[in-house]
Formats: sequence, C-alpha cells, structure tokens
Amino acid sequence: MPAVQETIEQVRKIDVDQYKYGFETEIETEKAPKGLNEDIIRFISNKKNEPEWMLEWRLEAFRRWLTLEEPTWARVDYPKIDFQDIYYYAAPKNQSGPKSLDEVDPEILKVYEKLGIPLREQEILAGVQKEAAPVGDLSEDEPGDNVYKSGRVAVDAVFDSISVVTTFKEELAKAGVMFCSISEAIREHPELIKKYLGSVVPTSDNYYATLNSAVFTDGSFVFVPKGVRCPMELSTYFRINEKNTGQFERTLIIAEEGAYVSYLEGCTAPQRDENQLHAAVVELVALDDAEIKYSTVQNWYPGDAQGKGGIYNFVTKRGDCRGDRSKISWTQVETGSAITWKYPSCILRGDDSRGEFYSIAVSNGYQQIDSGTKMIHLGKNTSSRIISKGIAAGNSQNTYRGQVSAHRKATNARNFTQCDSLLIGNQCGAHTVPYIEAKNATAQFEHEATTSKISDDQKFYVMQRGIPEEEAIALIVNGFVKEVIQELPMEFAVEAQKLIGISLEGSVG
Amino acid sequence: MNMRAEIQRTPAEAAIVDAFGERLSLLPGDGAIMVKRDDAIEQIKAGLPTRRVESWHYTDLRRLLASVPAFDASAEAKAIAPLLEGSTLLSIVNGVSSATPDLEGVSFQRLGDKLVDGSYAPALVTYGSDDAVGALNTAFVADGYFVDIEAGTQLEKPIELQNIQAGGQSHVRLPVRVGAGSKAIIVERQTGEGVGLVSSVSQLLLGDDAEVLWLIVQDQPETATHLAQFKAELGKNARLTLFVMNAGGKLVRQEVIVKANGEGADFKLRGVNLLAGDSHVDVTMVLDHAVPHTTSTEVVRNVVTGRAKGVFQGRINVHQIAQKTDARMACNTLLLSDDGEFSTKPELEIFADDVACGHGATVTEIDRNHLFYLMARGVDEKTARGLLVRAFLAEVIEELEDETVVDPLEELLGNWFATHG
Repeated sequence: MPAVQETIEQVRKIDVDQYKYGFETEIETEKAPKGLNEDIIRFISNKKNEPEWMLEWRLEAFRRWLTLEEPTWARVDYPKIDFQDIYYYAAPKNQSGPKSLDEVDPEILKVYEKLGIPLREQEILAGVQKEAAPVGDLSEDEPGDNVYKSGRVAVDAVFDSISVVTTFKEELAKAGVMFCSISEAIREHPELIKKYLGSVVPTSDNYYATLNSAVFTDGSFVFVPKGVRCPMELSTYFRINEKNTGQFERTLIIAEEGAYVSYLEGCTAPQRDENQLHAAVVELVALDDAEIKYSTVQNWYPGDAQGKGGIYNFVTKRGDCRGDRSKISWTQVETGSAITWKYPSCILRGDDSRGEFYSIAVSNGYQQIDSGTKMIHLGKNTSSRIISKGIAAGNSQNTYRGQVSAHRKATNARNFTQCDSLLIGNQCGAHTVPYIEAKNATAQFEHEATTSKISDDQKFYVMQRGIPEEEAIALIVNGFVKEVIQELPMEFAVEAQKLIGISLEGSVG
Repeated sequence: MNMRAEIQRTPAEAAIVDAFGERLSLLPGDGAIMVKRDDAIEQIKAGLPTRRVESWHYTDLRRLLASVPAFDASAEAKAIAPLLEGSTLLSIVNGVSSATPDLEGVSFQRLGDKLVDGSYAPALVTYGSDDAVGALNTAFVADGYFVDIEAGTQLEKPIELQNIQAGGQSHVRLPVRVGAGSKAIIVERQTGEGVGLVSSVSQLLLGDDAEVLWLIVQDQPETATHLAQFKAELGKNARLTLFVMNAGGKLVRQEVIVKANGEGADFKLRGVNLLAGDSHVDVTMVLDHAVPHTTSTEVVRNVVTGRAKGVFQGRINVHQIAQKTDARMACNTLLLSDDGEFSTKPELEIFADDVACGHGATVTEIDRNHLFYLMARGVDEKTARGLLVRAFLAEVIEELEDETVVDPLEELLGNWFATHG
C-alpha cells in the first residue's frame, strides 16, 4: 500500500515546526507609502502603466469602499484591521515587468527554487522527460518537490504586488491561449478586460472585493479562445514576502465556446508574528460548452501554535457559467491561513450548465475557517454538486457555510450537497450552516451533513494491525477526504495528501 | 446613538409602540413586571428584525408585518371542544383566561394573577436582541395559565391549553412545570377567526425522569399573524416529544428553543407544516445539548402550495462538555406549486468531539416514479398525488403511536386537504 506508507513517512518526517515555507528573503523592494487613499491608487495605477479608464475604475471602487462596512457575519474572530497600516504596493526593485528570465532578480529566482517552483522552461522540459511520478510514490521527498517539478505546467509567479515572470507564454500563444499577468492584459488587451473584468464579481460586490478592485496589484489573466483545449496546466504561484504588505491579486479566466482549461493556484508566505492581509478576487467566465477547472492548494502561513501571526485570507471567488452546457469546477484544499473567509461560487446562468465544488478544509492550532460555496441556479436543467470535508483539530474553528438556490425559472435544477466534519480533540469546533432556497417546484435539492470523531472502532482496527496511533489517524483522515482528493489533478493530489498529514501533526492526544 | 434609532418606524412598529402607550394603564403588574415591559418595548422601538438579522434571515418581520390590528374589546369568540377526547380544557378567549378547574396532582393559576402579584417577574425574560417574539409578548402579556404538575403524577387525561380569539390582539403566556417522574400529554391549541395579531410564549420546565408529549396545533385564519415561542428545559432522563402542526395563519413564526440540561435527556421534534395561499410560515428551532449523553431527533415535513413561503431553520448547539451527544435532524419538503418557495437552514454548531450529529434536507416535487406506480394501477393523477402527499405527512404523525392522539391529528390533516387539496 504505497499511499499509506507515504502518509506515514510524511507524518514522521515533520518536526515540531510544521510550516516549511516560512523562510524570508532579503530583497530590495520598492514600496508605496503606507496607508490607503486616492494618491496610493494613482501610484499603483501609474506603476502599472495603466490607461486612464482603469484608474477611474479603481477610484470608483475606492469611493464605494469608503461607504461600506466590514462584514461581521462570518464565524471568525479577529482584531479590527487597520487598513491604513498596510503597504498596498511592494515590488522587487528594478522589476517593472521583466521581459525575460535573465532580468529577474536572482534572489527571487532562488525563492521560487526553494519553493520548488521552476521558472526556467528548460528545467520544466527536463521534467517532462523524467517519468511522471505515480501518485503515492514519493521517493524523492525533498521539501518543495511537488506538482511543478513532475509535469509541464505554465507558471505565473506573483511576488508581493507584481508578477515576476510567466513561463511558456510563447508555446501557449501558438495554441491561441493568452496567459499573462493581469497588468499586462490591461495594457495589451483592453477590450477583453473592459468586457469581462468585474462582470462576475462587480466592484460593489462585497467589502473585500471592492477593496481589491481599488488596489489590486497583480494576478493572472487567461483567455482560451473558441474550441481550444489548453495544451498544458496553467498555474499561478503567489508569494507574500514583504512585511506589513497586503496582497491583492486579481485573476480573470475566460473560456470561450467549447474551450477547456485547468488552472492551479498555490500560495505561501514567510512566518511572521503579525497578521497579513490577502484579499483576492478570482473571476471565471465559461461560455457555451466551455469547461474551467480551478484547483487551489492554499498553504498560507497559518500562525504559530499560540495563534500568533498568520495570513488573513479574505477571498472572493466566483465562476459564471454564462453559456449553455458550460461547466465550472472548484477544487480546494485549505490548510493554511490564520483566518479563511472564502466561498468559491458558481452562477449557473446557462441552460444545462453544471457547477461543482470539492473542498477539504483542515484547521489546526488557532486557525479559523469559514468557507463553503454558493450554487445559484438560474438556467434550466442546471445541476450542481458540493462535497465538503472539514477537519478540525487543536483549538481551531471550522465552519462550512454554503448556499444553494433555485430561481423561479430554473426548472429541473438539481443539487446534491454533502458536508462532513471530523473533529480531532475536544478544544475545537465544527459548524455547518447551509442555506437552501427553492423557488421552483421542479427543483430537487438534497443536503446531507454529518459530524463525528474518528470512531474508536476504526482506530482500533487500524492500530491492531501494528500501526501507531498518529499514523492510524492520518490513514483514516485520508480515507475521509478521498472523494475530494480524487478530483484534484494527479500531482496536486499528492501534495494535498502530504499537506493534510502536515496540518494534523501533533493533534493526537 | 445608533443607526437603527434614526430609522423611520414602519406603520406596524408605530402601531405597536402607540398601543403600548395606550394600554399601559390596563396591563397587569407593576414594579418589577413594569420594568420588564419597558425594556421589551425599548427593544421593539429599536426596530423589528430584518433579514440582516441572521435568525430572521428568511422572515423579514419588519417588511412582512405590514399592519397591526388594534386591541378589540368587543371581539367575540367561544371556546371550542378539545382536540383530544376527555381533555381537561383551559381556554383563553380573546386573551382572557377563565376560572381554573380542579385536577388531582395539578395546580392551575391564571397568569393574570401572577402578573398582578409580581411573582411571575423573574420568568419574564427575553433571550437576546433578536428575540422579537419574546419582546412583543413581554411588553403586552396580560394573561394565560400557569400549570404546575406535582412530582410523580401520571396524568391519564390530556390537558388542553386553548388560545382562541376573534380578531384584535392577544398576548398570552403558558408556563408549565412538570415535576420529577410525572407524565402528561399537553395540547396547545392556537386558533381563531378574523384579523388578529397573536403572540404566545410557552415555557416548559421538565423535571428529572418526567415525560411529556406536547402538541402544538395552529390553525389560525388566513388573515392572522401568529408569533409563537415554545421554550423548554429538560432535566435528567427527561423525555419530551414536541409535535407541531401549522395549518393556517398568514404570517406565522413558531420558535422552538430547547435546552437539554440533564444527562440522559431526550428530545424529539416532529413537525407538519401545511402551507397554502399567500401564507408565510417559519419554524425556527434552537436546540442546546448542554451536558453529556443527551439525544435528539427532529423530523419536519412541509407541503407548500399556492404562493406560500415556507421556512425551517434548525440549529443544534453541542456544548464542549456535551460528549456522546447523538443528534439527528431532517427537513423534507414537497414543493407542489411553481409559485411556492421553501428555504431551509439546518445548522450544526459543535464544540465536543465525541458526538454523532447529522442533518439532512431535501426539497423536491412528488417523485414521478411513485406517481407512475399508482397511476399504472388505475389511480387518477389527482388522487395519486393526494395519496402520496398524505403518506409523506402521515409518516410523521403515525410515529406518535397513541391512537387517541394520531386519529384526531389525521382528521385535521384530512380537513386541511379537503379545503386546500
């Protein structure tokens, strides 16, 4: 049983300090002055060489943001954020949009190397020749050895406020796929940006989305034209490095008629005592017959064992199944962040469109997760499926909050929801808050939720076969989340499995 | 001071506040009771809850409560025969209780008397800023019954607490204390005619090893606003089965707030909600498992026709020390019309690890396969649908087992289908 062995090895290897991406790198940076006002927004816009209309768009969002109040309905608890005490722009010096890899600061390249994200295309090509590692076989289990080494993946690397490099652009361009940083897209493809930016998550959507619209600094832009199946996995790797900075990235993915794209997102940050804010907006648009698969392995720094430090992850992710027969699928593995506030959603506007949400949320220490999804059925014969697995350990609070609604015209809307929670230890909490709203008689909604602990019988069964307690738990947990892991791209699945092992380390007894 | 204070009062809010001023001199009780009333009306003055208040998310009371009828002293209503044969009947007609009967092992008191002498003041509590039902009731409550069942009393006949009115306003409270080891069947009947605003708060204290079957049967007219609260606390090994049937009313909110405070306590909620016309019916439950080794099951079945809107919110809180809790909740809805709506929010809030909790919720129309099965046997569609809907609800009622209880409830169900089917 290689998978089992792998988990066990993984759990054993981890030391007390479980977060392995917590290093910090000294890189000369250029920052905007601390705080937030219209001048800062002009500064960001200017830095990005943005056209006038984009600045106006940002300023309008900012003025709106000033009138909004911070939402408090989520089941998370944190001291009030001082939005004037954050740097809204931090970029490595001499980095006004690099043309080639040679221009990138070698220190930054080292960071990504350390993280295991190859930015040199030849390296990745070498990786192709290497036989793709089968799931579970992780003989070369070096830190940072993950998806990015074993396959051919185009990467957009975002460092603090800017995208430092995007790989495989040329090869993708041959297939007609645009993959670049959003700043570049604003300059190069204004017509697409004007048409789609803010069309899924309007600037007025919510407090953090509005803030993001005002100050977003970078992120990825993907455009897959009609009938094109994107030839490789696309990926963005986010890294917060600078102190006291917020990262506000904006991702926009458009799949035209019949197109297909699979997109991966990864993220890490250094270990720091203070909290850092990450407020992203991700918008997906799928036209007729298009399919977008969006996978996230969220591994921001979760804070230390006493709950000090860590990232506040306040993210708005939404997919719009605009075309008939389109499909959007969200898969997420949440193990990091001090606080997570995130509801990747699907608006099922097109007839026969489909939305999927697969999630594993693991919380330990003093982490707080309030996450889930929304499936808004608007078109006819739309269907959705939600599988959510929450695992709470330590002193953490883990909440699933999800909404399923069928509008009057959404005939034959179907939904199946399953959200299971597992509690490890008696200092943590698991909560389930589903909102189910049917306004159509032909809708068919099913919702199931369970909460339990790992049963003593299960544990006994495994331990009786000579497996120590901690490993037995890891094994049972992996079985519990299997349904979601299966939905991840293969290499990601391995990383996710490892992460779950890491996050639960030390939670026994 | 705050934003809400500046909000323009809705006509209903203004009517309530004005009515309080006018009724003040007529309301029983002074001193401590009056302080409670003042606090409660302050809460109403701050505004009725809107959908932004989480516990009222699907019932925007501020918007839905369009008008409030005035108190009507001339309204005439008469007590009706009790639901279950042989019941001891205590009726409240237009908000006024009558003389109390004699029953061995039970003492009855008119609540008006307990308000006048102030002895009820400590129990006159609201449970939070979103407790609009409790606040409205506390401000205006004038009567009701206090029922005290002595320890070790096995009541053979049911007790029916009947609240009946013919328009106007009526605000009653029904506190019931059941001593250790006692057993009783209690019927809470809420009915009437005309345009009424009714608030009713039932408070049940269940002693150790006591066992109660409590039936709430609400069939107010389609013009009435019915705001009700049922609160219960369960002692050691106490067993409570609460059966709620909503078969009327225009705007109905039935809150169920239960605390399992003693080890071994068991709570069962069975609900049947029949929605027709323009009605808005909301059943909201908050259940606390506060100690180890308690169990609960909730099954709520809803049928929605016409332009009706149905809501079920159920929250199970499992406290940190409440290990070995076993809680199950199910909410099933048949949505039978295109204009009907149903929203449900079954929540679990769990702080103990060694528990087994689950909930399930479904919203569907009638299963086509089932319909086909019957129609293939020569049953016409209308009859087949009727049979399936009845079967869907009967399952919950039949679980009560006791024929003397099941039969009258099924008869009520039949009556509803005769007029709304």
